[in-house]
Amino acid sequence: MTSSWFQDPTLLAAMLGALLPFVSFVLIMVFTRPYPKVSAAISVASISVSLVCAIFLLSSHWHLEHPIQYAGKWLISGEMYIPFGFLLDELSLLMLTIVAVISFLVQVYSLGYMAGDPGFARYYAFQSLFAWAMMTMSIAPTMLQFYIFWELVGLASYLLIGFYYEKFSASEAGKKAFVMTRAGDIAFFLGLLLVLLNFGNLNVLDMNSVDVTARMSPGLITLSALLVFGGVIGKSAQFPLITWLPDAMEGPTPVSALLHSATMVAAGVYMFARIFPFYSNSASAMAVFLAIGTITMLLASTMAMVTRDIKQVWAYSTVSQLGFMVMGLAAGSYFAGVFHLTTHAGFKALLFLCSGVFIHEYETNDMFEMGRQGGRGLKIPMVCMTIAAAALSGIPFLSGYFSKEAIMGALANMHNPIWLVAGLLGAFLTAYYSFRLIFIILFPSKIEKVHHAEHGGHASGHGHDAHHHAGLYWVMAWPLIILATVTVVLGFFQTPLENFLVGGHHGSGHGGGHHAWLPWVAVGLAVSGIGLAFLEFGRKGASQVGFVERVEPVRALFAERWYMDHFYRLFLDYVIYGIFSNLFTRNDRRVIDGGIDGICRATVGGGWLLSFLQSGMLQYNLMVMFAVLALVALYFFF
Amino acid sequence: MNSLYTYLFIAALLFSLGIFGVFQRRSLIGMLIAIELMLNAASINFMAFNRFLAPDPIVGQIYALFIMGIAAAEAAIALSIIVAVFRRLRSINIERAQELRG
Repeated sequence: MTSSWFQDPTLLAAMLGALLPFVSFVLIMVFTRPYPKVSAAISVASISVSLVCAIFLLSSHWHLEHPIQYAGKWLISGEMYIPFGFLLDELSLLMLTIVAVISFLVQVYSLGYMAGDPGFARYYAFQSLFAWAMMTMSIAPTMLQFYIFWELVGLASYLLIGFYYEKFSASEAGKKAFVMTRAGDIAFFLGLLLVLLNFGNLNVLDMNSVDVTARMSPGLITLSALLVFGGVIGKSAQFPLITWLPDAMEGPTPVSALLHSATMVAAGVYMFARIFPFYSNSASAMAVFLAIGTITMLLASTMAMVTRDIKQVWAYSTVSQLGFMVMGLAAGSYFAGVFHLTTHAGFKALLFLCSGVFIHEYETNDMFEMGRQGGRGLKIPMVCMTIAAAALSGIPFLSGYFSKEAIMGALANMHNPIWLVAGLLGAFLTAYYSFRLIFIILFPSKIEKVHHAEHGGHASGHGHDAHHHAGLYWVMAWPLIILATVTVVLGFFQTPLENFLVGGHHGSGHGGGHHAWLPWVAVGLAVSGIGLAFLEFGRKGASQVGFVERVEPVRALFAERWYMDHFYRLFLDYVIYGIFSNLFTRNDRRVIDGGIDGICRATVGGGWLLSFLQSGMLQYNLMVMFAVLALVALYFFF
Repeated sequence: MNSLYTYLFIAALLFSLGIFGVFQRRSLIGMLIAIELMLNAASINFMAFNRFLAPDPIVGQIYALFIMGIAAAEAAIALSIIVAVFRRLRSINIERAQELRG
């Protein structure tokens, strides 16, 4: 397939696809910011071209034999040089396509959702920046380029989370997201430096080859793998850096969809998969990752069980599903993790976009309020959301089922059964909290429903006139239908995808086949989770109070996110401000300021002391002058 | 007796006296006179070298004339400074002129 004739269109498509969003970002920011319609057109046009390029690349390289790499030297320092370019292999092609598809759908959807917003052009500029950063990151051939665009992804998500910057909580959330992911990124960068110093190369393909074990000692590999994984923890909101992601809900809903499915948080898992062979060199590091993924998944599931905010539920579920992906990857199944990333991108984007329709319609984030105002009247979003929630819960023959089974299979292959038990528990909780939400909106309590007809939503919505509204609704509905279709059918592409991704050179992709009982147990747990949710929220006369909400301390613990934010606050107050800041402030005041003051005082004092030499007596001056001249003469003549 | 060293010795003596005078006298006029002594010592040196060593006998004498001219100019400037100092301090004692003391 990689004959020389084919190389040109490939390179062209890769460059076009990756660079066009950036061009559109610059164009919008520089020229067309005052014209929202033009800006949106530029952005959507560029992402459409990127989408076409990505699909072309994927389809033309479906039977890829060797990774294709185009790289120009970008930075040369001594013997080391860092290339900049494109690396097209199975994983990056798949990711490129996911990013392009989701970005495209989200941008189309935003035409409806963001209509009339004063920052419309700015919004599209940031969307383009986001798409550019993420796509170039996906096809980065070196970890340094990866890191640069990784940070750009962080920047773009900061800009979009804090999009409503005039709202204090939004700008705070943007800041929190940026700072917390930075904390992980520092570790990531240190890990990269460690690899660079000891291995001398950050090329993805080289890092994934067996050379690493030959050139680095096992301890060093473990250390650098753990450090690099810090980036995943920050970006994918793993334990202990979970809480920025729920707060990131302050951004517009399409941004959340993008952030949660294909870009920001997926970047972390993508990085894990990108240098997966490098990580697998260290068994102990993988054990740590597995533990982190499990803790994250369970913590986030519990948090999702008590919140009333529709977007928060999906945010926690994203965290928990990311935990699942990390578990799958850390359990050694490269394919399971990547496949779950792919399917999750589809149904999570769908969930957020559906929620966006509800939020847009009823101007509230509270799911009880949505149910009360007749949320089930919105047929398309309701159906799509139910499909996506079922996929999230792992109901058979939807995409989530297949990928979850793959992960469960990988976990079942572990020696220690605790991971599998944790995974199954997670699956149960996932089904419970997703259908808790669905049932709350679908079957609201009777009493309140009576006097809130659907008209209430229209009346309270500001500035949407009715005839305009229908058009916007359909602009938003089409991406939902497309994504729902993807969610339904994607699972059946498991085998082709597995052949494509894993091919011949990874034997670890298989797992599910050995445990015939496993799918039954998993599906049984998912169904029982849904059943529990139905008992508590769905059936007629249900109390609509979950079993954890009956126990106040537990509810408080979950609702306060296991007091993690309090812990961060205390940590900041006592350790950062109390110890480090304090020490550095003192160092600044005492040592640095004091040192400079001391030099000044010494100069003044020295001048004062020396001024006593100046007696004002002309003859002493003359004597000194004579003596000096005499000495100089002596020196020269003798 | 009538050799170069005799003259050089006398000139050195005269110069030392001049130095001593400049350092020791507290009166500005005394210092001026001492400086004249040093200039004359230099003239004597020029004349002596001219007489005993130089092939062309004129050069040293011209220098001596120059030194006299310089001495005259120097005396004029110095005296005017002394007059200015006197006007300001009502004295020509050098110990009174210590305004720059630290």
